Amino acid sequence: MTDAETQQASAIAAPALRDRGALRVLHGLGWTFIYLGVLTLGFVVHQLVITTWFAQQAQSELALERVAQWEQTEISDVVVVPSAESGNGESGNDSGQGETGSAGRSATPLILKVESQPELGTAFALIRIPKLERLRDGWNVVEGVRVVDLRNGAGHMPGTALPGQPGNAVISGHRTTWGQPFHELNELDPGDRIEVDTALGTSIYEVREIHVVAPTELWVTEPREGAWLTLTTCHPKFSARQRYVVMAELVFGPNYDVIEAMK
Amino acid sequence: MIKRIWRLLPGPLSVRVVQAVVLTVVFLVALHFFYDWLGKWLLDQGGTVG
Repeated sequence: MTDAETQQASAIAAPALRDRGALRVLHGLGWTFIYLGVLTLGFVVHQLVITTWFAQQAQSELALERVAQWEQTEISDVVVVPSAESGNGESGNDSGQGETGSAGRSATPLILKVESQPELGTAFALIRIPKLERLRDGWNVVEGVRVVDLRNGAGHMPGTALPGQPGNAVISGHRTTWGQPFHELNELDPGDRIEVDTALGTSIYEVREIHVVAPTELWVTEPREGAWLTLTTCHPKFSARQRYVVMAELVFGPNYDVIEAMK
Repeated sequence: MIKRIWRLLPGPLSVRVVQAVVLTVVFLVALHFFYDWLGKWLLDQGGTVG
């Protein structure tokens, strides 16, 4: 091959090589985007479908666990003597230490029914919200708000009152994943009913307050006068930036009369 | 990429099939935990306060 022919061949080959390199880069980029797309689609399917499937499967097992838990739950009577002046009841247990109201008060002692504290991770309550389609038939609530507890959908915050008891019972739940029990919580309005079944019976609450707060605002979990139920979930939907908080007050239940008298 | 990994697997066909199944299961479990972690931080923390 003469020099001229060699130069001519190089001139033809150089752009072809450049094109091949560019093609390889394009090919690599194309596959990268396809993999990223598949991974993103997988993430969406996992979060919206697979986690919910797991949570719904767990619900049937939790229903059985809850019934067994109710049978084992110890219910004790606490005697409460309503105070005529201050409005605060004084209480004691049913072993003879009760009925310790201040001298001179003639109010009739009342019996507050108290259930034993459930173990962490155990289903112990069923929450029903007739207005919300997802919660019309009820959703099992477990004790605890650890990641593993909330994989079942909704969990009761330890340290807060149990539903149906005086104070503030806090229940947290997922909004977009793991069964999304509180997905439609924003559809609740003041006056709507929330029912909670426990070993004691059914306690009915009425929505009084709705708040949107930062995840660090602990005041929503603090004890309150009377008996309250506070539901918390992530807000807005598909974001964990804030919390949507619904506060409801007890209007009917096994302890309603006693709690009203204690106010 | 899947073909390339398949070609890299050592041993006869039956051994490669077993290895492929094990690798797939490990990959899916790892992906599940990764998605779970990502979802917890991006989408939904379970609504807990504090």
